[in-house]
Amino acid sequence: MNDTNMLEITGLSHGFAARPLWTIDQLQWSGQDMVHLRGDNGSGKTTLLRILAGLDMPSQGRVRWRLEQAWLAPPCPGRVIYLHQSPYMFDTSVFDNLGLAARWHGLARSDAQQQARRMLAWCGLEKQGRQRARSLSGGERLRLALARAWLLKPRVLLLDEPTANLDALAIAEVDALVADLSRLGCAVLLSAHHTSLLTDRCRRRWQLVDGILQESVLVASRESERVLR
Amino acid sequence: MPELLESTRMALLLLITLDPDLWEIIGVSFRVSLIAMLFAIPPALLIALALARLDFPGRWLLISLANTLMAVPTVVVGLILFMLLSRSGPLGEWRLLFTQPAMAIGQWLLAMPLLVAMLHSTLQGIDQRAWETARLHGAGRGAALWRLLGEARFGVLAAIVASFGRIIAEVGSAVMVGGNIEHFTRNITTAIALETLKGEYAQGIALGTVLLLLALILNLLLGMLRGRGQQSLSS
Repeated sequence: MNDTNMLEITGLSHGFAARPLWTIDQLQWSGQDMVHLRGDNGSGKTTLLRILAGLDMPSQGRVRWRLEQAWLAPPCPGRVIYLHQSPYMFDTSVFDNLGLAARWHGLARSDAQQQARRMLAWCGLEKQGRQRARSLSGGERLRLALARAWLLKPRVLLLDEPTANLDALAIAEVDALVADLSRLGCAVLLSAHHTSLLTDRCRRRWQLVDGILQESVLVASRESERVLR
Repeated sequence: MPELLESTRMALLLLITLDPDLWEIIGVSFRVSLIAMLFAIPPALLIALALARLDFPGRWLLISLANTLMAVPTVVVGLILFMLLSRSGPLGEWRLLFTQPAMAIGQWLLAMPLLVAMLHSTLQGIDQRAWETARLHGAGRGAALWRLLGEARFGVLAAIVASFGRIIAEVGSAVMVGGNIEHFTRNITTAIALETLKGEYAQGIALGTVLLLLALILNLLLGMLRGRGQQSLSS
């Protein structure tokens, strides 16, 4: 195993043995480049992200994350966090959604509140702190979900179609937060149908075509493509 | 008709003047049913959580069993318990027949299936993303389960309110294992059923009014909780 990699996938496949959804023989990711996962509807993007998060088990193969000098199989709570296409908001206030995560992270009550306040400011929802989280708009929900995840200082964020159903302004706001996370050393892997500010930020592309994952590295305007398998 | 009006007038008088006998009877009803609920809620929650979250063999059988037991007539529960607790019965040594604990056990038996079935359907309805989100954000199993209960709080409260309403209004089991003993096991429903036969209309009407008011309050509460529950599930 190469120690510069953060993710290693070996012989991974999912679906029925006779007709797998997709197969990935070998794939590594250093975590330094943001990745844009592409594919048609039903190509298995969500399934791949969920397997990487450890929410689903693959039919075959292995996923390993290198976190804090050790190779770990998912799930890695608090370190590899997956956000659903429409992130789940707990049925409490915006502030308490952050507070819950802080408490689960093991912070004492006063520290948790302090952290929650900091993250509220970070995602620009200070005014909505007392509002019910479920009354937020789509863009605000995603910002809150990013803040709630970032509160745990994860190494990896897996974002499932974060820009679906968001308008340009909301995408720009989310993009600013994701850029911040990426700059602070959080590895980001996102799936998206359409290109946007957020996908333009990705320097690596994984495309699921006919059950095969094709990887390309985008270097400035030149695109070098390497097909796996 | 004049007799009925007179009884109603007497009934209101009993209620307003806080007649000690009347309120003692009401007290027995509440004490017994609250104790039954107190002992029913924790195991019912655990069973419902297991049925909703775990996939084990016999799961559907248990769910069907809970649904079937909901339909068992209260008097049949009373009969079975009576036979178990009677002197010659297998639990006769406990000396519980015609006591408040026996009534509470009967109501516990009546509350359990209803609680389990309602809690199960509430907990089953929780979004799978809630569990996944909590776990990936570092919540342990216990903390994540606690959060699920928090997400389903309106449904959980609705199940508790509905079950309490059922057992405090039941008469079959209470009369069989309680025996309607004055100052001891006489509760609202057994008093209405048995004292009315002796011509004590006023007390019956007064107690019936209390039950009706309670039913009204519980149903208003249920309606509110249902509304909130649906609101929180739908978003």
